[in-house]
Amino acid sequence: MALLMNLPSLAVMALVLAYPIYYAGYLSVHKVGIAEIRRGVFPFYDWQNYARLFEDELFWLSLQNTAIFTFVTVSAEIVLAVAIALLINQSSLWTSRVTRWLILLPYAIPPIANGLIWNFMYNFQFGFLNRILFTAGIIGEPINWAGNPDTALYAVTVPYIWRTLPFAILLIHAALQGIPRELYEAAAVDGATAWHRFRHVTLPLLRPIIAVILILRTSFAFAVFEEILAITQGGPGDATWVAAWYSYKVSFAPPFNIGAGSASAYVLAMIVGALAILYVKLVYRRIA
Amino acid sequence: MVADFTRKWEFSRRNFLRSAAGAAALGAAPGLGLEGLAHAAEGPWSAVPKSKVDKLNFVVWTYGDIYSKIAAQFEKDWGVKVESTISSFNDHPTKLVTMFAAGEKIDVSQSSPFSFPAFIKQGLVEPLDGLPGVAEYTKDFTPFTRQVAVVGGKTMGLPYFSAVWVWNYYADMLEKAKFSEPFRTYDELIEQCVKAKKDGIARYPIQWVAGVGLEQLPGTWYSLTWNRGGTFFDKQGKHQLGPGSIARETLKWWANTFEKGLDIADPESLKVQFTTSAKAFGAGKNLYRGPNHHYGLNICNDPAQSPIAGKVKVHGFPGDGKTIGVTHVYFLNSAHRDKEWAWKLLQYLGGRTKDGNFTQATNLAKDAMLGSGYNTVMNSDAVAKGWAPWGDTKKILEIWSKASYIGEPVPSVYEPWHFPWTDQLNIEVQKTLTGQITADQCCDNLIKGIDTAKRAAR
Repeated sequence: MALLMNLPSLAVMALVLAYPIYYAGYLSVHKVGIAEIRRGVFPFYDWQNYARLFEDELFWLSLQNTAIFTFVTVSAEIVLAVAIALLINQSSLWTSRVTRWLILLPYAIPPIANGLIWNFMYNFQFGFLNRILFTAGIIGEPINWAGNPDTALYAVTVPYIWRTLPFAILLIHAALQGIPRELYEAAAVDGATAWHRFRHVTLPLLRPIIAVILILRTSFAFAVFEEILAITQGGPGDATWVAAWYSYKVSFAPPFNIGAGSASAYVLAMIVGALAILYVKLVYRRIA
Repeated sequence: MVADFTRKWEFSRRNFLRSAAGAAALGAAPGLGLEGLAHAAEGPWSAVPKSKVDKLNFVVWTYGDIYSKIAAQFEKDWGVKVESTISSFNDHPTKLVTMFAAGEKIDVSQSSPFSFPAFIKQGLVEPLDGLPGVAEYTKDFTPFTRQVAVVGGKTMGLPYFSAVWVWNYYADMLEKAKFSEPFRTYDELIEQCVKAKKDGIARYPIQWVAGVGLEQLPGTWYSLTWNRGGTFFDKQGKHQLGPGSIARETLKWWANTFEKGLDIADPESLKVQFTTSAKAFGAGKNLYRGPNHHYGLNICNDPAQSPIAGKVKVHGFPGDGKTIGVTHVYFLNSAHRDKEWAWKLLQYLGGRTKDGNFTQATNLAKDAMLGSGYNTVMNSDAVAKGWAPWGDTKKILEIWSKASYIGEPVPSVYEPWHFPWTDQLNIEVQKTLTGQITADQCCDNLIKGIDTAKRAAR
């Protein structure tokens, strides 16, 4: 009976998740160009797409950039989300209640629009950011945020964090509200300081939700695309080539090697999957 | 199939002429518009296809409202609805091939000369030979157009527009810097820019078009190299990027204008495309705008878009003035729904409309300062008078006369591997301009990349 009840969701999952994953794997070991797709005939290509991938320095650089991007964005999101969620959790302050709503605004902005907005803000001569910093006397000369290979990747992380942070705040804020007040009262009776209460009560109880955020945000950050497209298009040079951009360019720019693009996407999915398993094991082992 | 279609067309044309003659014999009044019909009957563009379609479509990249206008005219003339899929220039190949791969019907599409060999190889392009009127069109092609649209002796497309690479300068700033005239040599260009920077006239006297693209950053390097007497490949396909080559020395010179060298080049150069560069130049912060498509003047000198409108002048290349040019094309997609009608629509975009006029090409010249791929249009008032509001037409045409098709310095444009190689070129050259690698390393990497690109395109 239980199996029967689960069948619809299993079928849906198989259709929307398992099949695309299987199909991407299938494409990755076949020769797939536009002509092959049109004909519907894909010659078996063995591991040649993977071999091509692993020989390509740009692929490794894209993975490296993706890892840096993911580490920076996910770390920053977790820290900021916990801090902001704690602030807006102060329900006695009316400003917290207002902020709770305002904080959601960036999440409503489409990623590509977000990228374009920040592209204007980063403009070297006329950008809002340089104008503010210059007027405030913080910089003497405009900074080429998105056009300098040393800063470009980090410049792209900021709009990404700005857009996706509300999601993490929302989850952590919800988790905070689920922590029983008695625990804090008991800790206070025992003489715990605010820091101790946070360190020994709040943080351990937030661990499961942080694990969820880590998994979700890592997988999304690994697939970052829109901000790259709108702000740097991988440049300057290859400074902001990330894995999803690489897959896109290989698949959808001439000569349209969709087989190799699928192989690249598959490698990316494997990495994200492995990281997700690692996170879950680490976090739940600690809880146990 | 082509022969069948030609026969069908001849048949319908005979019918049509017979009907027109009959109408004339009946003494139809001028008020009925038969003069127009008689004129229209002069060519294949006005023949009514025998087959029936309920709609047609094209997949193109965006340019103002030209496509909504021409689609409306087609619907009005032929009573067939035209649907359009329009994306940005850089996203167009992706859009087109994904639609094609998904099995969608596409009647007409568009290509830059750089994607065209890949589209042909992937089977997206239907040859036009044998279709009614093709021979007449081909005869009227300009030399640039012929080099793109005629592949292996077959006509594969009709021209969208042509452009040549020119320099721009901001006349008021030139005067303010007390230079009597724009540079005549590359040394003079550097001298003027260094002085303008030193005198506080412009923090970054020169803005290059060095944004990633198929012909933006690459076009700047190609045109500078060609003007200095160099090429990227010889006629046998051997690269010309080795030590001491003109392309390599040109890149060294170019990179030296950026931050790690003379620091006279605007850092935004690395992000701007043709249009964004024209808009940025319109802010009046730079003295020179590096070589790029001539029609950028219609932005720089448009009062609605540029605070320095009317002050931006066109300038030719130093020395013998050699420059490069390009033609983009429309083509009949092999995924068309009906060949007769697709050909009809293709002519509206890249040839003649029902009235026998080059409507689209003429409007593009008058409204957007674009050059045409047809001699008829290039020699018409559409260009002579149409370009005048934005620039010195005579001067531009003089520069045009010294232009060679981009395939001369870069014969790889005829090869499907040119596109993936250009991807690498964009990366390596931007790394050079930002001082991450030297011009020597860049050229060495590009030489190595030729084989990789060839393998990728296989």
